[in-house]
Amino acid sequence: MIELKNIEKYYANKGVKSYILRHVTTSIKQGEFISIMGPSGAGKSTLLNILGMLEEPTYGAYEFMGEDVVSLNERKRIELYRNHIGFVFQAYHLIDEMTVAENIEAPLLYKKVSGPERKSRVADVLDRFNMVAKKDLFPNQLSGGQQQLVGIARALVAQPSIILADEPTGNLQSPQALQIMELFKKLNEEENITIIQVTHSEVNAAYGSRILHLLDGVIKEDLAVPQGV
Amino acid sequence: MFRQHLKIALRNLWKNKGYTLINVGGVAIGLASCMLLLLYVAHEWSYNRQFSNYDKTYVVYNNTKTPNEVLSWPWTPSVMAKEVGQQISGVSRASCSTNPAPLLIANGQRGFKKQAVFADQDFLKILDYKFIKGNPEKALAAVNGIILTESTAKSLFGDEDPINKTLKLENSQLLKVEAVIADIPETNTIRFDYLMPWAAYEKQYPWSKDAGWGSHYALTLVQLEDNRFFDQVSKEIKGIFKRHEKGTLAEAMIHPFSKWHLYSRFENGKSVGGKIDQVKIFVGIAFCILLIACVNFMNLSTARSQKRAKEVGVRKAIGSSRKSLISQFLVESVLFSFLGMLLAFVLMEISLPYFNGLLHIELVINYSNWEFWLVLFALTLFTGFVAGSYPAFYLSSFEPVKVLKSLSIGGNSSVSIRKVLVVFQFVFAVCLMICTIVVYQQLNYIKDKSIGYEKAGLIEIPLQGTLGKGLGGKENLDVLKDELIKSGAVNSVSFFSSSMNWDGHRTFDMNWPGKSKKELVYFNYRCAGYDFVKTIGSKMISGREFSARYKDSTNVIVNESAVRVMGLKDPIGTVISMGQDQVKIIGVIKDFVVGSPYQQAAPMVIYDWNVNFNFALVRLNPAMNVSSSVQRIDEVMKRLNPDFPMERSFVDEDFKLKFQNEQLLGTLANWFGGFAIFISCLGLLGLTLYMAEQRKKEISIRKVLGASAIDVLSLLNKDFMKLVGIANLIGFPLAYVIMTKWLSAYEFRVGISILPFAMALGLSLIIAILTLSVQSAKVLKSNPVDGLKYE
Repeated sequence: MIELKNIEKYYANKGVKSYILRHVTTSIKQGEFISIMGPSGAGKSTLLNILGMLEEPTYGAYEFMGEDVVSLNERKRIELYRNHIGFVFQAYHLIDEMTVAENIEAPLLYKKVSGPERKSRVADVLDRFNMVAKKDLFPNQLSGGQQQLVGIARALVAQPSIILADEPTGNLQSPQALQIMELFKKLNEEENITIIQVTHSEVNAAYGSRILHLLDGVIKEDLAVPQGV
Repeated sequence: MFRQHLKIALRNLWKNKGYTLINVGGVAIGLASCMLLLLYVAHEWSYNRQFSNYDKTYVVYNNTKTPNEVLSWPWTPSVMAKEVGQQISGVSRASCSTNPAPLLIANGQRGFKKQAVFADQDFLKILDYKFIKGNPEKALAAVNGIILTESTAKSLFGDEDPINKTLKLENSQLLKVEAVIADIPETNTIRFDYLMPWAAYEKQYPWSKDAGWGSHYALTLVQLEDNRFFDQVSKEIKGIFKRHEKGTLAEAMIHPFSKWHLYSRFENGKSVGGKIDQVKIFVGIAFCILLIACVNFMNLSTARSQKRAKEVGVRKAIGSSRKSLISQFLVESVLFSFLGMLLAFVLMEISLPYFNGLLHIELVINYSNWEFWLVLFALTLFTGFVAGSYPAFYLSSFEPVKVLKSLSIGGNSSVSIRKVLVVFQFVFAVCLMICTIVVYQQLNYIKDKSIGYEKAGLIEIPLQGTLGKGLGGKENLDVLKDELIKSGAVNSVSFFSSSMNWDGHRTFDMNWPGKSKKELVYFNYRCAGYDFVKTIGSKMISGREFSARYKDSTNVIVNESAVRVMGLKDPIGTVISMGQDQVKIIGVIKDFVVGSPYQQAAPMVIYDWNVNFNFALVRLNPAMNVSSSVQRIDEVMKRLNPDFPMERSFVDEDFKLKFQNEQLLGTLANWFGGFAIFISCLGLLGLTLYMAEQRKKEISIRKVLGASAIDVLSLLNKDFMKLVGIANLIGFPLAYVIMTKWLSAYEFRVGISILPFAMALGLSLIIAILTLSVQSAKVLKSNPVDGLKYE
């Protein structure tokens, strides 16, 4: 599903190149649950952003479902992105001016899904996340965990094939964090959605099927997580 | 999608009420100012356009070449119309009419002085006035016909049907009412209260029957069959004077009727503008004010970018394209401008009566006019798009990764653009301020400038009826003078051939010793009675004025500029000639202004021929209060001239009318300059409030580190004061150039001093400081902990 070959990312500052990512080569298959780990500044988020097409690599080849992302024009890339990728952020990043239901509906608007279909899909997702009662509240009326649930619901509503999560539990207390991770696991197992998360926590990483260890922009380790632990 | 955008925009408006208020208020004032000025411009533009064939109608102008200049005016011989209408191909009609002049029209005892025009039948065919009663085909055919406007009919006959009733003109001719037409709209260059046939003019003024090509006193209107004949007709009509009068200096030209009002100034026989210049200035001001309001919006929107950045990032991260974001921001700004438009309506309706009072016109918002709505919506959309364009493109350009990761954007580029925008606003405001001050200086200079006589306390009374030309003669005038002086209300009385404020009666036909053949100078000629100098409060430079003790019928008085023009070393006793008459100069009077107060007085020759007296000049007795003086004068006039309604005017009030254009410009520049400054300050206020918020963390850290209130305030405001200073520096040369150009049109003008510039600098800085100090309280009260908590 995803093929990365020799991805490099650096910033040139006064002639000095500071590398964020070096020679990153890996492939990710449909249905995997991958955790990217590593110390601060190792390039975890940058790798995730490149995977999510929010950033472009300086060098290297990135194939997403058989398409060469680097050479696509912006319109096509947004198209690909809309249809296949859902993002979940550490700081939730809900739009403050919109209600829960509207936040969830937003990606469908951009995908030009018809009105009745939007309604039913939003209702469906709300139902699944037990948030029907909260659908008309604004983000600042919700707790952190609830906001993150909305964030995930928003990522899911467009029925992506892959969810990218940047420290999704970083701002949450552990009971809520556990709940989120359980949710990811369920989505991964039941709906075969590929999940890639950046995390600091060994506990969270253990939910996944594979761990990429990053250090100074280089993949140091690529481990499979023993299942059933 | 659109509904979503609208909903979010509305919520944003509601959430940031202060911001909304500043923005919508600014846009509303901008739109209202713009619409008001455009209403005024439309009013000026609509002149002479209510006739069905106005675009094919032309006014014949007379260009007379003198060695120094070409003089242009619309007065032509009365015989011209016939010739033009019959001989020149491409002309469908030509009409001849007089300049509107007040004449007495009476129904029995009910008499009024009203504006009268004499015209031939083609006049009504070229200008299709709206007939309420009577037959337009037959009107003006008979010698004794008369057409009244609706309100004239009403004042003469009340509710009676006026048709076929008899009226008396100037207590002599009897006329029969043929028709009633609708009142002539204000937007008409030719305005009159009643219309009479040309034959009646010839009956009233017999000399005009034999007036040939040398007497230029009639207005000739020409209607072409089609405008493509314009060049051909222009060419043919040019030499029409030369074909009939050998040695004439006049050439004819046709000038579009619809441009007559706005393009009335001519140089070298070519139209070089006129009121259109002022109209252009107003259009310019209107759009600049609107632009300032747009700039306000741009400024505030980009200043708020910090807040909006996250939203942009999230939207992009969940799949929004840039186009969709741009349209979202545009929807928001168009919504702002529509709200502004609603408020602008309120502002316009409130200010319109006042505005009308200022301009002495009757503007109304014509809600049923689709053009009005079209312009309004176009303007609103324009404002929305211009105001929204920069924020839309700027905000939508954020890269999601950056704004989402760091939650702050390096807004350096935007800051510099905002600075440019603020400078732009203040440049305009400063320019307007300087221009307003200079316009007022010029006005005061001209008002205070000596005009050569004492205009205050001077009344002029038109002589009519038994006092009028050739009717009563000298004896009646002497009686009038005696009676007036006996009444105690006046100190002295004299007579003059025209109004003191009227610029006319001119001739080239003046000869003096040493005059070269080629020299052609335009002389004013007047006739004045005894005690003229004393009455108007002027001075004789040398010699004496007319007096009962001498026989002065072949003597004249000249003014200083006549002496200068003739180059006479010792003017007294010099014999000069006007036409056939040889006359001797017996005195030189100080120059006094009869025409434009902005120009050097023209040379003038004054005779004492009493048959030409048209006005009595009365110097009020300063010891008596004005109203009782006026009452006594009225009593005397009523007694001596019972048939005519009393008429009199104060010379200084009529004199003021000469400043109307400048006064108007000054007033409007003042008001709209004020609005421009106000909107700019709103923008500045909003900007500083957001800047303070944006730098909350920095301010908090500084406070924690021990910065005093003054330190913080100077930190925040220093930049803005610098911007206002820069705006002044840019505005100064700009205003200087504009005002130099404006003043160059006046022969008498103030020098541009440093005062307006200093005042503008001082005012703009003070206003800016006041604006900025509004946010100081907010900054000073804030607790540094709040600013640091979230980090």
